[in-house]
Amino acid sequence: MSDVEHRTPVALSGLSEDDPHLQPASKNPQTVERVIALTFVLGTLFVAAFGACYWINAKPWTLGATLGGGLFLFGVGLVAWGKYLMPRGPFVEERHVLANSDADREAFAAAIVERGGGVVKRRKLLAGLLGGGLGIFGVVALFPALRSLGPLPKGTLFHTDWKKGSYAVDQTGRRINVGDLSIGSIVTVFPEGAQDTDRGQAVDQTVLIRISNQNYTTQKGRETWGPMGYVAYSKLCTHLGCPVGLYEQQLQLLVCPCHQSMFDVTNGAIPQFGPAPRPLPQLPLYIDSSGFIRSQADYDQPVGPGFWERHRVTGSKV
Amino acid sequence: MTTSFLRRVPLIVAAGFLSAAPILLFVGSANANNLNPPPTTRKNAGTPNSTIVVKDKNGNVIEYGNKYITYKAPSNSLDSLGRALFMENCASCHGSQANGVPANGTSGAYPDLVGLGPATITFWIDSGRMPAKDVAAVQARRGQPALTPSQATAIAAWVNSLSPSYPDIPTPHLKNANVSDGAALFALNCAACHTIEGDGDALAASTFSPSLRNIPAFQVVEAIRTGPANMPRFTGNLSDQQVADITKYVTTEIQHPNNPGGFGLGGLGPVAEGFVGLLLGLGLLILVCYWIGDRS
Amino acid sequence: MSDVATNKRAQRQAAGPYGKIGQTLNELDDRLGVAKGGRTFMDKIFPDHWSFMLGEIALYSFVILLVTGIFLTFYFVPSVATVIYHGPYKPMDGQRVTEAWNSTMNISFTVRGGLLMRQMHHWACDIFVGAIVVHMARVFFTGAFRKPRELNWTIGLTLLILAIGNGFLGYSLPDDLVSGTGIRIAYSIMESIPFVGSYLAFWVFGGNFPGTATIPRFFILHVLLLPLLILGLVSAHLFLLVRQKHTQFPGNGRTEKNVVGSPMYPVFIAKTTGFLFIVGGITALLGAFAQINPIWQFGPYDAARISYAVQPDWYMGFLDGALRIWPSWSFMAFGHTIPLEVFIPAVILPGILFNVAYLWPLLERKFTKDNEIHHLLDRPSDRPKRTAAGVAVLVLLSMLHIASSTDVIANFFHVSLESTLWAMRILVIVLPIIAYPVAFKICKEMQGYRGVGKRKTHNIVSRTAEGEYVATPTPSYGEDVGHELEATPVPTYIEVEPEVPFESGVRTVDR
Repeated sequence: MSDVEHRTPVALSGLSEDDPHLQPASKNPQTVERVIALTFVLGTLFVAAFGACYWINAKPWTLGATLGGGLFLFGVGLVAWGKYLMPRGPFVEERHVLANSDADREAFAAAIVERGGGVVKRRKLLAGLLGGGLGIFGVVALFPALRSLGPLPKGTLFHTDWKKGSYAVDQTGRRINVGDLSIGSIVTVFPEGAQDTDRGQAVDQTVLIRISNQNYTTQKGRETWGPMGYVAYSKLCTHLGCPVGLYEQQLQLLVCPCHQSMFDVTNGAIPQFGPAPRPLPQLPLYIDSSGFIRSQADYDQPVGPGFWERHRVTGSKV
Repeated sequence: MTTSFLRRVPLIVAAGFLSAAPILLFVGSANANNLNPPPTTRKNAGTPNSTIVVKDKNGNVIEYGNKYITYKAPSNSLDSLGRALFMENCASCHGSQANGVPANGTSGAYPDLVGLGPATITFWIDSGRMPAKDVAAVQARRGQPALTPSQATAIAAWVNSLSPSYPDIPTPHLKNANVSDGAALFALNCAACHTIEGDGDALAASTFSPSLRNIPAFQVVEAIRTGPANMPRFTGNLSDQQVADITKYVTTEIQHPNNPGGFGLGGLGPVAEGFVGLLLGLGLLILVCYWIGDRS
Repeated sequence: MSDVATNKRAQRQAAGPYGKIGQTLNELDDRLGVAKGGRTFMDKIFPDHWSFMLGEIALYSFVILLVTGIFLTFYFVPSVATVIYHGPYKPMDGQRVTEAWNSTMNISFTVRGGLLMRQMHHWACDIFVGAIVVHMARVFFTGAFRKPRELNWTIGLTLLILAIGNGFLGYSLPDDLVSGTGIRIAYSIMESIPFVGSYLAFWVFGGNFPGTATIPRFFILHVLLLPLLILGLVSAHLFLLVRQKHTQFPGNGRTEKNVVGSPMYPVFIAKTTGFLFIVGGITALLGAFAQINPIWQFGPYDAARISYAVQPDWYMGFLDGALRIWPSWSFMAFGHTIPLEVFIPAVILPGILFNVAYLWPLLERKFTKDNEIHHLLDRPSDRPKRTAAGVAVLVLLSMLHIASSTDVIANFFHVSLESTLWAMRILVIVLPIIAYPVAFKICKEMQGYRGVGKRKTHNIVSRTAEGEYVATPTPSYGEDVGHELEATPVPTYIEVEPEVPFESGVRTVDR
């Protein structure tokens, strides 16, 4: 078998029937034929079993095993047939030069440049008008192609549904009370009414963490934002918007599970490590007379990842 | 445990430290100052949905809870045994007063155990993390427990007697739990650290979230309720029913995953899939190429 | 003999020497004129070297993708409308899910054979992209992209990008927790583009994240637009291949003016059809035994939920790795933000990589001033600079890929996440820089060996009467001499180099 490649290559046509190039590659064609026959028989059994498994609705792996085994056996047999029992060659085919003769090339170029180009050259105005019109059409065609696809961002990237006095509720809609969390507890909250909307889950999601029993100031200027040790940060990572749901209560870090940015919970969620460029925006909270956690106002800056128009960066120092 | 304390147990049971207590609390604190309502400590909180209360023959409550989880305080008859075991196994670090001050050390070097509640003590001992095998390790790893469960309970009894606290040792009743709700809660509250398949992963500063593959149900509840080490503590934000749901999901689908599609690839997700696809799938096919073609 | 038998024999004789088949072919030729072209096609010669089959893996995985994909479209519902899941998989019973997730669960648990088809589709995709990359590496390292095949290189590269893009779209369709996180990241990457980012993201996704248009749009792109493009470009790729004929390695009578190998019919047909079956078989076996993308464990997507240790499919790994290790350098000035921490690793970096790859044939022609037509391939060692550059880029991509699983590595080896990330930051830069000179040096060394690429003859080890072992090389294969000692063009190196393996322009074959 291994001497196939060392025969001098010949052209396919005009070979006599007993030419060595036309003989099978195998020295024991009978044995190989028997082996190939075996693979075909086994392959047939496998695909038949596949049919049976399908019919009785057997487990998925039996379907795959029978189908895969059958196909594999057929394939091996067929390849072996081609490799060992068919003319061993090697054969040679001449490669024709792709390029045409100089005369043909010249005629081609002449047709394009002289016949066609001449027409355009003489009617520059027409060509210019048509070209300009189609160009404008091309630009205009972008409008339906792009503009209809979705709304303009307008202000939606700049604010969330948190408003003055919004109740913080968990995903089931239950209002969070000051007694609910002990130190080291975390819960994902939404402004009441947005907890089961797509936008609420995607944009308004906020982590509420209790880090103390006393009012907690995470940054200068945020003295009233963390009543009774409750602090709330946007759950959207400022890197790529993954939910920063990983809270390590002893290290006081919020970690983004996507790219491992780490934010210091006690210090305004300033990033400590990883690719996130900005702190998580903090939500100012207060506790009402009934003990419920509510927001003083919306976030003071856009939540989530950066974008070109983002410019309001008040209240955060990096 | 003092008798006076035990008399207060029914009251505590009535108030709700475990679960949604907003309604009670908001009645209780209706007249409080706007921004500074009185702090509600766990000791004074209770659970309004404690429907099961078991008393011993003296009328003391020894077990309480609801149809999802019952909590059992360790018997104070174990105190002396627990004290002996503590002195033998724990006091070298945590100090003879269990306050984290060893005999010749300074306070703050080791955790103060006073007031942590029995479930915290038994969780650390039953999971083999304590007594610590490597005191210098950033985070203790789960292992073969050095003490038996009854010894752990005894130690918990003594430590708790110093300053009775919660949570007590839980027993989940999973037949009443809903595995589907548990799956949703797991994805929201647990998967961020433990991964959605429960395998755990590396976290900040050499800490890690452990795998959940091999944890008995009551320890899952203990971990959720006590928040060991860096794990957040889930108290009022998850009801007993929700904790039982999560526990059921962890002990069934996470620990015994249904893999209808063949071998689960170690829960590593697309990383393992890439390896298998490229090395096994493509690798085999390239070997087949090598067979089909010539090699000169 | 009966009359019937006599009639049949008469009919056979009337049909000519090739019987009914010959007759059919004649009828066909009367109408379509296919005889001559058909004959040429049957005689087309395919090189036998194994590395020429790598592209076939890609082609046949694409066939499997089409077949399994058509099956899946019958059952998949591309909608984000909310339904309550009530299927056979009890742990998710009663959850609020989207139609997309619901129907994928339906395919996995209810449709007979559906799970197998889904898993085969996903495995075939992983293999498809992998085979394209391996095939492309072969083409690159052997210089098969050189004139006249620059256009086919461009088409192939476009196919790679389309395959990666369509893979990502398909991965996103089930709307499970893991893929939903991937869409969230894709949205943020689009948002990071300066000037137009937020508009682009709003238009492509139909509004602020998550948008309602994502799944339906991804679906039509995934099952119609991109497959059509891929199909068209694959056809063009193959048409150019037939038109320009195959490249081949030098030696054994192979010259710039011929192609040596096996004919299309019957040898190549048998081998390649067999190979199609084998690719299908291995994909089906993977689909049977290796579980992939178990969305029932991931659960439906919900923007507030997240799992740790989530990575994209392997072919997106290098992007994820780049996003992880790129430092947090954001640009904020003049009332605007350019999220460089996203824009550079996720947009600029792949942009540079793919553009250099597109331009490579042009660049190489410019620097080597080699404007000849090449049908004979280079040995990678004969082009040390190209080989070293390719190795460096592959090392860079592998390092970026590994960087996408820093958490998994840190957990597995019990090292800290931070040091793993820093190690990857350093390795991503250092290893490619080391890889270049190392590969260059190895190439140079290999050039020095005579008879590289020639068949080795075996040594006969004999034991003398004194007990000493003596190894005698057997004579080299006479057939290794080309059937004509043809002058091969002196390789045009990027710079003038000592021509160690070549003497006087004649490829020597002494051994």
